[in-house]
Amino acid sequence: MQLLREAFLLLRKDLVLELRRRESLLTMFFFGTLLLFVFHFSFDLAPERVAEMAPGLLWLAFLFTGTLGLAQLFQAERENQCLEALLLSPLDRGALFFAKVCFNFILMLLVEIVVIPLFWILFNLHTWNLLPQIFLITLLGTAGFCVLGTVLSAVTLRARARELLLPLVLFPLMIPVILATIQCLGAVLRTGEIGEAVPWLRLLLGFDVIFLTLGVLVFDWVIEV
Amino acid sequence: MAGSAQPQKQGRSLLGGLAVVVIAGGLYWGLIQAPPDALQGDVQRIMYLHLPSILTAYLSFFLVFIGSCLYLWKREKRDDNLAHSAAELGVLFTALTIIEGSIWGKPTWGVWWTWDARLTLTAILLLIYTGYLMLRSLIEEEDRGAVSAAVLGIIGFLDIPLIHMSVYWWRTLHQPPSILRPDKLPWENIHPAMLTALVVNFAGFLLLYFYLLSLRLRLGEIRNEIKARRLARGVY
Amino acid sequence: MAFFAVLGIPLHITIQKLSKAYGVLWALRDLNLDLPQGEFVALLGPNGAGKTTLLKLIAGLIPPTLGTVELNGVPFSSTHAPSRAQIGLLTPAGHLYENLTLRENLQFFTSLYKQNHDSTAIDAALKNVDLIGRAHDYVSTLSSGMKCRLSIAKWTLLRPGLLLLDEPYGVLDGSGVDLLENFLQAHCGKGNIVILASHHVARVLKICNRAIILHQGRLTFNAPRQQPWPDFDRAFGEFLPHGELCSS
Repeated sequence: MQLLREAFLLLRKDLVLELRRRESLLTMFFFGTLLLFVFHFSFDLAPERVAEMAPGLLWLAFLFTGTLGLAQLFQAERENQCLEALLLSPLDRGALFFAKVCFNFILMLLVEIVVIPLFWILFNLHTWNLLPQIFLITLLGTAGFCVLGTVLSAVTLRARARELLLPLVLFPLMIPVILATIQCLGAVLRTGEIGEAVPWLRLLLGFDVIFLTLGVLVFDWVIEV
Repeated sequence: MAGSAQPQKQGRSLLGGLAVVVIAGGLYWGLIQAPPDALQGDVQRIMYLHLPSILTAYLSFFLVFIGSCLYLWKREKRDDNLAHSAAELGVLFTALTIIEGSIWGKPTWGVWWTWDARLTLTAILLLIYTGYLMLRSLIEEEDRGAVSAAVLGIIGFLDIPLIHMSVYWWRTLHQPPSILRPDKLPWENIHPAMLTALVVNFAGFLLLYFYLLSLRLRLGEIRNEIKARRLARGVY
Repeated sequence: MAFFAVLGIPLHITIQKLSKAYGVLWALRDLNLDLPQGEFVALLGPNGAGKTTLLKLIAGLIPPTLGTVELNGVPFSSTHAPSRAQIGLLTPAGHLYENLTLRENLQFFTSLYKQNHDSTAIDAALKNVDLIGRAHDYVSTLSSGMKCRLSIAKWTLLRPGLLLLDEPYGVLDGSGVDLLENFLQAHCGKGNIVILASHHVARVLKICNRAIILHQGRLTFNAPRQQPWPDFDRAFGEFLPHGELCSS
């Protein structure tokens, strides 16, 4: 309970700061949209092939925008060395982890709510009725990305060139999430239901649970001063 | 520490010599004694190196995991040294495996590289642990670097089963495991000389691995000792 | 441990063999120090003597290479959350969120320390440092002196059993300095410990009741204040520009 209370306090602080500065969210929106244009120019997709490529392209966009968000994750704590102030306080560091995961999750979700429909519009897809399932799967994938991304963002916090290092360390470890989400999205777009991709969905859920637990457990060490 | 250096050194040399002898024996068995494969012919003989090197690499990544856990628990430089050394050797053996695999793949499948599950998995392992080594080299403060690396070493190892599962579901093209088949006992599937070659080579690779590991561990120890002595001299 | 902050049981501190090495350089070596409750310590020494390192070590912001810090006989561990609540650190870095208002900053930090101050207490703290008129402005609109005043207000609310200050005088004006010194003396009067690192030797010697000098990472002087104080003048004289006396 204490952990949730503290996490909520931190999350509210992060959201208020984000609303006032709008740095991460705006850049992520813009970058996500920009990527859709770049994809269109580079692949020049024929309408019948779009549905086949959509899962991969969408996830590529989310992966890149998400990484942009992760690099900014501790930005608020950098000015005036506020991270020191948080570490000095009797705050449970698991709460800090939890709050940062939620914060990044909310940012990515906001971006996805715009980017997915935009993709359908820009690439002339007609399967609007599948969007709820698409969102649900994306939600699970995004959760996995945020959980592992937050741990690694903290692991690389004190490294030189951390913005460059983070994706190098993160992407190989994210492969289960990338594959599972793309397979699930593909199944939904092909057949209209999740059916054959249920094992993938389980894998995704397993990933989320394992690394969320691990994150809360090891974050004390990760962020250790 | 200085007193034990000499017998340690002799032990290491012995290990190295033994590795050379056993691998030579394994190669003799693999290249000369064992019959050529029924389908692939002589090319298949590369398996006698390929399989031992990937198994050794896995062992190495397991040692990274063990060293990382111990370091987080007890904070002894020794355990961090183990994790770091094992990661370097693991990357070396994984790279070797991929090179051998390519050489084997070209005549067998007609391509240097194919996105088959086992190949992909090996490549991902290489990426993960290269990232681990990069992280280590990019954190200046030593204690913090060791803690961060230990956390990554644990996460990376726990992620391997998940990656393994996903990559296998994604694509399986590789020949099914040829020795450990559930319907037959291992020694019924394979010519005895082939099995001997494989086992001897694996033993040789293990000896070689532990020889290299002991050298690398000693290197880390010496580095720490130099640092400790410079500190003890009290440079302000 | 958790009770100390809540019940206000006074702290005493024992530092044993505290040492910190950066790479192959010692920043601090074999520091032993006993501080009873209510002690007001002036931490002095030339640039690079290890003052900031010492403060960060005590606060648990950097791990020591060797040695321990004990609070009331219990080794202080930075991973033990409740014991962190007893130590406060005021640094030039500020530790304030630029895009929160003054009041939001104070509210955020007091709730992190599990102290639910109502708005009147926060208003009183802001009034005390003459910033009540700016309560709803962002911290980014403040001058650096005002930010320092806000940090002081933060620690007047949190009342840690051990307050560490790293060169707080730099940006404060005359009334700010008075305010800080009054607060610190009152804080010690209640049995809390204050360690104040500064180069304004003459100022801090007037208010402290113990002075310690660090030189090249070692403790070279440690004694309760006297008036006049020839020993101190001898120990500190070499760091002064004109060989002037400062204890008188």
